[in-house]
Amino acid sequence: MTQHEPQSSRAARDELWRDWMRAAQDGDNSAYTRLLADILPVVRAMVRRKWRNANDVEDIVQDVLLSIHVVRHTYDPGRPFGPWLSTITARRIADAARRTSARSANETTVEIMPETSLQDETKSDQDVLDDHGEIQRALAGLSATQRQAIKLMKIQGLSLEEASAVTGKSVSALKVTVHRAMKVMRRILE
Amino acid sequence: MNGSTERDTDALVGALAGCAAPVRRLRSPHLRMAIWFMISVMFAALVVAAMGLRPDIGLRLQEPQFVVEVVAALMTSMLAAGAAFCAGCPGRPLWERFAPLPALGVWLASLGTGCWAAWISTGPEGLRITPDLMCFPYIVLVGSVPAVLILAMIRRGAPIAPITATMLAALAAASLGAAALRLFHQQDASLMVLTWHVGSVAILTGIGALIGRSFLRWPQNAKTY
Repeated sequence: MTQHEPQSSRAARDELWRDWMRAAQDGDNSAYTRLLADILPVVRAMVRRKWRNANDVEDIVQDVLLSIHVVRHTYDPGRPFGPWLSTITARRIADAARRTSARSANETTVEIMPETSLQDETKSDQDVLDDHGEIQRALAGLSATQRQAIKLMKIQGLSLEEASAVTGKSVSALKVTVHRAMKVMRRILE
Repeated sequence: MNGSTERDTDALVGALAGCAAPVRRLRSPHLRMAIWFMISVMFAALVVAAMGLRPDIGLRLQEPQFVVEVVAALMTSMLAAGAAFCAGCPGRPLWERFAPLPALGVWLASLGTGCWAAWISTGPEGLRITPDLMCFPYIVLVGSVPAVLILAMIRRGAPIAPITATMLAALAAASLGAAALRLFHQQDASLMVLTWHVGSVAILTGIGALIGRSFLRWPQNAKTY
């Protein structure tokens, strides 16, 4: 996918990705891990080439990865992997551009944001560190399933639908897990 | 957007990699096209049988123009379905989405030839348009089950071209309805067929295109930026 890459090495890499994806479709977690790790820099480079605002790049890359995960059953191992990956990446970049332009049509740019506090900083660095430690302690008190749900939805900010796609659990099951996990965390923090 | 960092992305890769449950691969678009077309033709045949074949069907089937028109409509339907399935498979060539155009061209050309022949033989009288409001509901009736089936089938694909996919799906169902309509509805003036049959197909195809983006969405579209 890189422009100056020799044809033979591109073909060899595509062959490798094809094999890994075929194995991942059959449920091979290690092949899937290798595939995602290998395509990540390629996806990132593609997004960077097309998207000017560097702050948004990782959001779009994550969108691409989630999309690949959700539609991985649409890959036909009899066909090259590269075009499959580029199509999804290009589509998600276009979707992000559409969302951004739709949002900016409803926004007003202001030069100075209104202040919400008279103090320069609402929290000291020490307070932030203390909070971090407390949250880690509360997370340690959760079961593995609860911790995964909290990390995905409350720390990484995934929606219920996204977290459901990642974990394979139903939306309602996730709601229950998060609710219980929050109760446990609240108890620990008190 | 959320301003995520590379560390967040690495964490996501880890989370995704840990849950690669086996998936059922999507069957080839050609096979899905064959399955859809077979079931849909069977349903259309049932409707035609229920409505009753037009009394002059034997005579009509001896006219090359009638046969070309019906076969072209059926081919449009089948190829549009195949193209709709291809539009849900990332990485496939773009030309596949235009596959129904030749058949559609033949269908329209056969009707155009009919209009021309009517003009030559009877002049402006042969090109009169009168209301025939039953065409639309008949096409919707025959196309209903095929439409539901194809929409359910394209939902299994990736929403990389949602508008194109639902538009082609609607074209597939509606042109099958139009082909079946020729077998039980006695309306042979080419301009009338062009106006009411092809017009109905065009409206339904347009509706298909309009629902595309809301019907076929990425599951993570709920994400708030």
